[in-house]
Amino acid sequence: MINLIQIELFKLFSAYRTYITFAIALLLMLVINLGLYSDGEELFGFLLQSINDYFYIEGNVVNGYLIAYLALNTLWIHIPVLIIIVTANIFSGEFELGTIRLLLTQPITRTKLLIAKIISMIIYNFCFMLVIALSAIIPSVLLFGTGDVVVFIDGIQFIQESTFLSRFFNAIIFATMAMIAFSSITMYFALYFKNTLTAILLSLGILIIMTLLQTFVIGIFSSWQPYLFTFHIAKWQLLFVNEVPYKSILNSVYYLMAMSIFFIAISIFKFNRMNISE
Amino acid sequence: MYILKVENLALDYGKQKILNNISFAFKKGQIIGLLGPNGAGKSSIIKILAGLVFPKSGKLSFNKLPKKSFSELREYCGFLIDSPAFYPFLTAKQNLYLVNKINKANADLDELLQKVGLSQVDKKKVKHFSTGMKQRLAVAQSILRNPEVLILDEPFNGLDPNGFQDLINLLKDLNEKGTTIIVSSHLLNELEQFADTFILLHKGIIALDISKSELLKSKKKVAFTFESEPSIEVTEFLNTMDVVFKNPVLAVLQLNPNEIATVVNKLVAMESTPINVETLTILQEKYLEITK
Repeated sequence: MINLIQIELFKLFSAYRTYITFAIALLLMLVINLGLYSDGEELFGFLLQSINDYFYIEGNVVNGYLIAYLALNTLWIHIPVLIIIVTANIFSGEFELGTIRLLLTQPITRTKLLIAKIISMIIYNFCFMLVIALSAIIPSVLLFGTGDVVVFIDGIQFIQESTFLSRFFNAIIFATMAMIAFSSITMYFALYFKNTLTAILLSLGILIIMTLLQTFVIGIFSSWQPYLFTFHIAKWQLLFVNEVPYKSILNSVYYLMAMSIFFIAISIFKFNRMNISE
Repeated sequence: MYILKVENLALDYGKQKILNNISFAFKKGQIIGLLGPNGAGKSSIIKILAGLVFPKSGKLSFNKLPKKSFSELREYCGFLIDSPAFYPFLTAKQNLYLVNKINKANADLDELLQKVGLSQVDKKKVKHFSTGMKQRLAVAQSILRNPEVLILDEPFNGLDPNGFQDLINLLKDLNEKGTTIIVSSHLLNELEQFADTFILLHKGIIALDISKSELLKSKKKVAFTFESEPSIEVTEFLNTMDVVFKNPVLAVLQLNPNEIATVVNKLVAMESTPINVETLTILQEKYLEITK
């Protein structure tokens, strides 16, 4: 199995597409940092105007930690999009190239092959989120320094400087789990349709529709909210409230894990019964 | 002794019957040619043997041992599936390295590349390869593990005459060393050059299963074309033979291989030398019949 995982990782990291997603992630973080470096003071001055009437704020509010927190908001759409593209290609790319025939005519079982691919997908997710984490925190701290953070989640939250890094990296771990869950959906589509573009479009469609339902919670949709995976993905934000609701976050962790296991299981089932006739 | 035996193999794609309860067996150490026009079912048989496609029914035994599923064959067989595919962003050697690693084999990749005539381009990315080069690389990956049985689907596609001859020499060499080889092709002439047994498929059934020795012994259709209508003496002589078809200047006879020379000599002696003599084996005859 380790052999197969090594092969999958070798293929993954030999493809320039993988590095493009890393480069885009770095660029994304750089743009956020540069944008806030040039206009940040003005923007935050405007945002803090309303609370300045009630609070006396001392020190550097626009600091690297706040920027790193804001950068995490790319978790809504930008990061999933990049992850979808690579994940879809890990699975359906083999069908499109025809290399699935090469792999499946070797003395390995389909289940082992798929598990090796899933593990390499998980490793990619970890690497990608690590790049996101480091590129979010290092340049922002270097450019803006550190300090306490004021964020708006269910009201104003004041995060002490000393607790920020642990909250930030917990959020990254949570987000990685969320991205793995989302990748599992993409994997299923990629195997079902054997086509990268279809898998990407369907995954994006689900992401966009669920985000919209999540954003415009109206009428009957409000009761559906806990069943939307975007509802659970968003729980990373709760790691930045003063009293972290760990129970609620843990429930979402269970939800995302169950979702990953479900899609991995049906993907293995499907893959083992699939005719590779083309 | 049969190395691979398949009984009652059936495959449907929806309502379309691809293979219709066919049975066949391959003798150890032979080169077997799977023949048939496009759509006859050759590639489907190979995909089933490779475990890529699941048949509706079919029993398999390998070296007399029954096997639960066709995918078990992958342990013993090397495959080249029609239109071989590789990772285009990797070099020829890297592609082979992957197959080597999957199999935990210890093949000498440089030697292997030399064997298939790709040693000069081992560091070239496969995306820059021609069809013929890809075909050679596919052969290299299929023989990497020194399999007991080598199963090749249309291996001559895209090969130039030199490549074709090189591949035939390589297959003959492997066969001499004991590898059983199954080759599918829609081109009869290619297979006739080196196969020991021929299985002709048509619309999912076996139209003919014949060994080369049987083929050599079997009667052939011989067409004699004359410049003008032969004399009565010649016509009478021809009528004593097994005549299949006859018109004033053409006579098609069914003859044993050793009779052909005798008949020609007799015709020459009767001063009715045919301007053209064409022979058709039973395999060629059947093949022409189904590809009409």
